[in-house]
Amino acid sequence: MQAPDKLDQIHIGKKGAAPIAAPGWTGAPADRVKLVDCDVHQNFREPEELLPYLPRFYKEHLLDQGLHLPDPGYANMPYRRYRSDLKDPELKAREFNYSLEFTQKELLDRWNIDFALLTGPPPLYACAGLPDPDWAAALCAAFNDWTIERWLDKDPRLVNSILVAPNDPVLAVKEIHRLAPRKDTVAVLMPMLTPQLYGKRVYHPIWEACAEHDLPVVSHIVGDSPGSTPTPAGFPSYYTEYRMIRPSLASAQAASLIAEGVFELFPNLKFAFIEAQQMWAAPLMWHMDADWKALGDQTPWLKRPPSEYFREHIRVGTQPMHEPPQTEQVYQMLEMLHADETLVFCTDFPHWDWNDPVTVLPRLDEHTHRRIFAENALDLLRISDDMIEAVVA
Amino acid sequence: MRRIVVGKVSEIPAGGRKIIVPFRGRAGIGIFNVKGKFYALRNICPHKRGPLCTGEVAGRSATTAPPSITDGFVGYERDGEIIRCPWHAWQFDIATGQCLVDPAVRVKTYPIIVDGDELIVDIEVSDFISEG
Repeated sequence: MQAPDKLDQIHIGKKGAAPIAAPGWTGAPADRVKLVDCDVHQNFREPEELLPYLPRFYKEHLLDQGLHLPDPGYANMPYRRYRSDLKDPELKAREFNYSLEFTQKELLDRWNIDFALLTGPPPLYACAGLPDPDWAAALCAAFNDWTIERWLDKDPRLVNSILVAPNDPVLAVKEIHRLAPRKDTVAVLMPMLTPQLYGKRVYHPIWEACAEHDLPVVSHIVGDSPGSTPTPAGFPSYYTEYRMIRPSLASAQAASLIAEGVFELFPNLKFAFIEAQQMWAAPLMWHMDADWKALGDQTPWLKRPPSEYFREHIRVGTQPMHEPPQTEQVYQMLEMLHADETLVFCTDFPHWDWNDPVTVLPRLDEHTHRRIFAENALDLLRISDDMIEAVVA
Repeated sequence: MRRIVVGKVSEIPAGGRKIIVPFRGRAGIGIFNVKGKFYALRNICPHKRGPLCTGEVAGRSATTAPPSITDGFVGYERDGEIIRCPWHAWQFDIATGQCLVDPAVRVKTYPIIVDGDELIVDIEVSDFISEG
């Protein structure tokens, strides 16, 4: 037997391996924006962190009752929700190291991300289901202020989608006007599951405020509410079924926005559907165009085929991306989707089902790669030239 | 072939693991003690290149039929024998490297020799070449 080499001749990772940086992904300075991530979740460790940002009346509210957000009971969200390779073994099972420094190290630096759009903690999207509109508005405002102080003020790569509750448009508009003057406000974040579809005229004041400030709406799954079951046939039993509902929900919201003429009324409004898959949009465009020829009399305010409104105004996120057995079919679907206009890259960091930027769509041509990973997002979000200079200089 | 001492039997208790980096590129390998037997896997998931060996070691749920009016019981099997990748949660059999959710997928394994208290991996010299 050959004499074995000794253990100390190779480096031993004391705490285990770090996540693998992708081949060819270097830390070299960028000459242009190459990577924009449109779905990065920031969160607080405990709701009490919001106390300094709440008016006294609502401090009592939080101390008495917690956030009391409606919860659909999908506790079978797997694997403690987060990527387990990033978990600090000192933390309890469902806790996570939600610090700015950790996100900088594990996401922005490791993957060379130029801009990361903060999209908050999904449980907060249930503000759409809070019966008390003033508490919903106070909670959103407190979370937005917490994000400004703890995250946005500390890294120019972070940009924000400000959270507003859709159920009371007057209060939502107030919050948009309050934070729109901030440069790092680049979008307005709204849940996807709402008691009323987004084409309804009750939302017009919100769209008007967004259009006034040139802010797109980023609508992320989900946003549970006591008045809305996630399917018209009620609640599914399992989380895996629940995930399959997302495309139908996004389709319904997109069809509503187009059919009710929202984009005729607000020609510069843009809307992005995040974490609801994306390929549903191709057949939706075809089906709406076909029906428009027969049924256009019912919506005479639409001046163009529905697909044109979609391609001009609606964007979809890459995550979660399909993985068919024949890989090339994804690229055929991207063509049907007009992905070089409509698709924006999202990691969904730090959740268990995240997509990294290297393996998610490895065979794109250069033009489509640039559009999906940077330019579509730069066109969508209100990111100014001086913000770009600050990160690529 | 080349023999590398990668650890001591006494430092990896049953159910435990040790990750060694770099080893065959930057990703390293994971050494696992599954119920007294030692196995080594490459620390790259063949699905999306996630750090497979840092995932949770557990078992999997098991049942022979969907829940029905008369029986909704779901069991659990092979506890401690299966690792789940921290990215996207694909399951792998630690002993064989076989992916349990896709029969066409397997992660590279390395045979482990136990020599007294020493754990030794037999490798090809090419396994040392960094992937850059």
